[in-house]
Amino acid sequence: MSRSLGQFAVLLALVLAGVGAALAFAGARPGRAPFFIAARRAAAAIFVFVLIAAGAMEYALVTHDFSVRYVAQVGSRATPPFYTVISLWSALEGSILLWALILSAYTALLARWLGRHPDRSEQTSGPLTLGSLLVVNVFFLLLIAWPANPFGLVSPVPPDGPGPNPLLQNNPFMGVHPPLLYTGYVGMAVPFSFAMGALLAGRLRPEWPRAIRRWILVPWAFLSLGIVAGAWWSYEVLGWGGYWAWDPVENASFMPWLTATAFLHSVMVSERRGMLKTWTLTLIVATFLLTLLGTFITRSGVLASVHAFSQSLIGPFFLVFFGLVLLGSLGLLAARAERLKGDGRLDSPLSRETAFLLNNLFFTAFAFVVLLGTMFPLIAEAVRGVKVSVGAPYFNQMNVPIALALVFLLGVGPALPWRKGSWTLLAGKLRWPALLALIAGVVLALAGVRSPLAWLTFVLAVFALGLLVVEFVEPARVRQRASGGSLVRAVALVAASNRRRYGGYIVHAGVLLIAVGIAASATFRREGEWTLRRGQAQIFSGYALQLDSVWAVQEPNRDGVIAGVTVFRTGNVIDRMYPRLNYYRISTEAVGTPAVRPGPREDLYLVLMAYANDGSNATIKAIVSPMVTWIWGGGIVMGLGVIFGLSRGRRTLTPVPPLRNAEMGQGGEVARAGADAG
Amino acid sequence: MTWKRALIPLAAMPVIALLGFGLTRDARLVPSPLPGKSAPAFALSTLAGDSLRLSDLRGQVVLLNFWASWCLACIGEHPLLVAADRRWRDQGLRMVGVVYQDTRGNAAQWVRERGGDWPNVLDEGSRTAIEYGLFGVPETFFIDRRGRIVYKQIGPVSEQVLDTWIPRLLADSGPAVVSPAELQVGRSPGYLRTSPDFPATQGTTPRKP
Amino acid sequence: MKKRTAGVLAGGAVVLLVFAYLLWGGIGENLVYFLTPTELLAKGTAAQGANLRLGGMVEPGSVHWDAERRELRFRLRDDGHAIDVVSTGAPPQMFAEGIGAVVEGVYTPDGVFHSHNLMVKHSNEYRPPKAGEHPAEYYRQLFKRQQS
Repeated sequence: MSRSLGQFAVLLALVLAGVGAALAFAGARPGRAPFFIAARRAAAAIFVFVLIAAGAMEYALVTHDFSVRYVAQVGSRATPPFYTVISLWSALEGSILLWALILSAYTALLARWLGRHPDRSEQTSGPLTLGSLLVVNVFFLLLIAWPANPFGLVSPVPPDGPGPNPLLQNNPFMGVHPPLLYTGYVGMAVPFSFAMGALLAGRLRPEWPRAIRRWILVPWAFLSLGIVAGAWWSYEVLGWGGYWAWDPVENASFMPWLTATAFLHSVMVSERRGMLKTWTLTLIVATFLLTLLGTFITRSGVLASVHAFSQSLIGPFFLVFFGLVLLGSLGLLAARAERLKGDGRLDSPLSRETAFLLNNLFFTAFAFVVLLGTMFPLIAEAVRGVKVSVGAPYFNQMNVPIALALVFLLGVGPALPWRKGSWTLLAGKLRWPALLALIAGVVLALAGVRSPLAWLTFVLAVFALGLLVVEFVEPARVRQRASGGSLVRAVALVAASNRRRYGGYIVHAGVLLIAVGIAASATFRREGEWTLRRGQAQIFSGYALQLDSVWAVQEPNRDGVIAGVTVFRTGNVIDRMYPRLNYYRISTEAVGTPAVRPGPREDLYLVLMAYANDGSNATIKAIVSPMVTWIWGGGIVMGLGVIFGLSRGRRTLTPVPPLRNAEMGQGGEVARAGADAG
Repeated sequence: MTWKRALIPLAAMPVIALLGFGLTRDARLVPSPLPGKSAPAFALSTLAGDSLRLSDLRGQVVLLNFWASWCLACIGEHPLLVAADRRWRDQGLRMVGVVYQDTRGNAAQWVRERGGDWPNVLDEGSRTAIEYGLFGVPETFFIDRRGRIVYKQIGPVSEQVLDTWIPRLLADSGPAVVSPAELQVGRSPGYLRTSPDFPATQGTTPRKP
Repeated sequence: MKKRTAGVLAGGAVVLLVFAYLLWGGIGENLVYFLTPTELLAKGTAAQGANLRLGGMVEPGSVHWDAERRELRFRLRDDGHAIDVVSTGAPPQMFAEGIGAVVEGVYTPDGVFHSHNLMVKHSNEYRPPKAGEHPAEYYRQLFKRQQS
């Protein structure tokens, strides 16, 4: 039942997407508004049908309908209900269905938004934008309808299935992490469609970036959270004590993030100064292309260390679509570049524009380094016929300096005014942060921070954070002087009056926390590994670890072996930790679950490596990673920053007036918000 | 000026070509030198206790299927093998199961439950598996009448694979039926797949960063 | 104005060149070749000293664990040849004879591969349990101990 329902819903959605795209493009001509209205309705209907398809699949999963191919592939009666529900995204076909669901949700929301704001629709070449997004829908629905069809019939119907991938079942966080990441990843199709709409129309209004700000920031925030969540998952599940390995799968999500972040910054330049228009569009297009490329290389078996699907048609499908988008968008960009030429120019090297230009340069270089490292094995095989992999040191050697330069820019950029700054003004602003950074540098050196890279990261982070504080406090003091009240209240008022700007600063603070966390955990990590007899203790990095016992447990979907370890510190018991190894029915390979004792200063991380069959001893690996939690905290701060930046202020229909004064006025946003409310 | 612009999209062609090349590779597979070579000989004892030598089957088309009772994918492919055995046995197809990393008792029970009356040999110490360069189970080797491996299926066989190879091998009575270019390794789409956000791991072995 | 453009272009070209040089060097230094024992032996001395990945099957009967020196010795084999491997640290729980494994490390002139990273080959669908038993049987002893 759910099989035919799902199949039917997908086909219907596919037809609607095709028709809707045609209608939308037709509706772009003047006087063809009804076509556009019909296309918007089609977009809403597509979402409903894809929702039905996804619902049918969930129903089949929950009711263990093994006649459905996807259920036979990932379902099992022994899997706990929660994991059965989330196994929608435990394998390829299901995750493409989830992908299509999110995409169609974005499409429906965009259609609604375009309908409700005819003015913005006009600004953003609405019909062409919607049409472009519907074309992306067509592609993904085509994938589901044909090469990645999850609704195929299995005959004879198997009595039971293998259950989802053990790694998926090993941590409930898998219920959150993929949808987060997908919402970001898929959402990049929306800014891409805006860019396509603008390119097809051949015009780009100056207010364009502002009109679509929300459509960029939301996916970007989800992508950021998804990446941090992925790192957390990797840390909590994979048991090697790290969170990032420059694996192709990780890089696939990171590369679009880099270009999208560059875009977020360059768009401000094109908005305020009318510069870098073509470049900004190129970044959006590149971001979307990188999401496609990432999916392609990780799903089609092109690169190693990923599960291969070389016999399915998905690879060729993706390649064709990727090629079409690449050629089409490059062609459009080339054809329209002349018309979109910016009218602004760089007035002075000492200006915020310069900071943004450098920012873009570094982000692009960063993305290129990652792209090259990710694709190099393929290049090497194509050119020289050898199988190689690119070691993590390459990524670190190349990217750490770039990242540090970006942290430095993050510290200086906000202090620079648009157009033309003066050294005295800059020196005045940077005085306190620089002093603070200097003190921090001396203290850290005295405290024994020997690694130059870590030292530099900390110092730069203190510097940048100091400047952020100045940026909050200085205007607040001005306000306080004028209207009294406490400083905290003044800070809150100032921040609330320019949410876009201060939201951005909060995001920056989150990035700094992450930078510090990465530097500390990568530099000062300590680890040891011992085979302990029962009752035996081992001193490690200020802790004493005592193996109490080793035992086995049976659960419906898995069996596990657990080591009980008592942790002492200065003679007192501070914790009991239970690292374990799990054996899932589906795989006879053991999947570990490390035990983590998180803390703001450092994490203690225990892995059960091996054990004697009679339980008399166990091999435990212990890792102490300082300040890892700062990374997760930084991710949360980034998310909060975006929420703050997007809160209220959304009714600002009037564009930012091109800048007249050297310094952005703090009252500008308030004035505009007031104007819109009226 | 305009024609120069047209060159910009052309710059994308190498990228597409590279990805297209990538599609023809399976990065996970270390190329197997086996197809086209003689199937490594073995003499092993069957579950019934007899001795079976691969060389005794020379002149017949042999389907060598590595399996184990703990292997879930083997359960899935078994009905296909039973059907193939029924359909082509009279025409000279000889099915041989090789039990991998398993006990005689478990394997015998598994066969009793699921049917199939072709011989199954026990590969103690996995020596035969190593000679055949096994990645895991199930894997199936298609051996022609001259004793050469013409095709190796990694993962469960599909109807399509059986229909493609068995009639061709049976139809031929003499030397080469398969051109060297066709000798290949096939891989069934893994029935276990991960979502794109799984950081791929080389096993769950803790990895050094 | 023209002069300035030329200057910017030249500066950009220099930056690009330096960047390309760094990239090339960075990648070249950090390439890890993936070889099978047969391929490694065919390379002869050329393969010595470089960081490599070696993939093959663990030869039955070759595994030796020296608990005192925390050293694991075994032979990795493909369908032609075998290479002695020494790896430090305890073997992972699913390490067993007759399974596929990948080691990362250095091949030294004495004909031994010194591994600093032992990975059991990732093919989650086709992994045999240790010693050919069903996983449940494998730690039956632990269950027994717990019940008593």
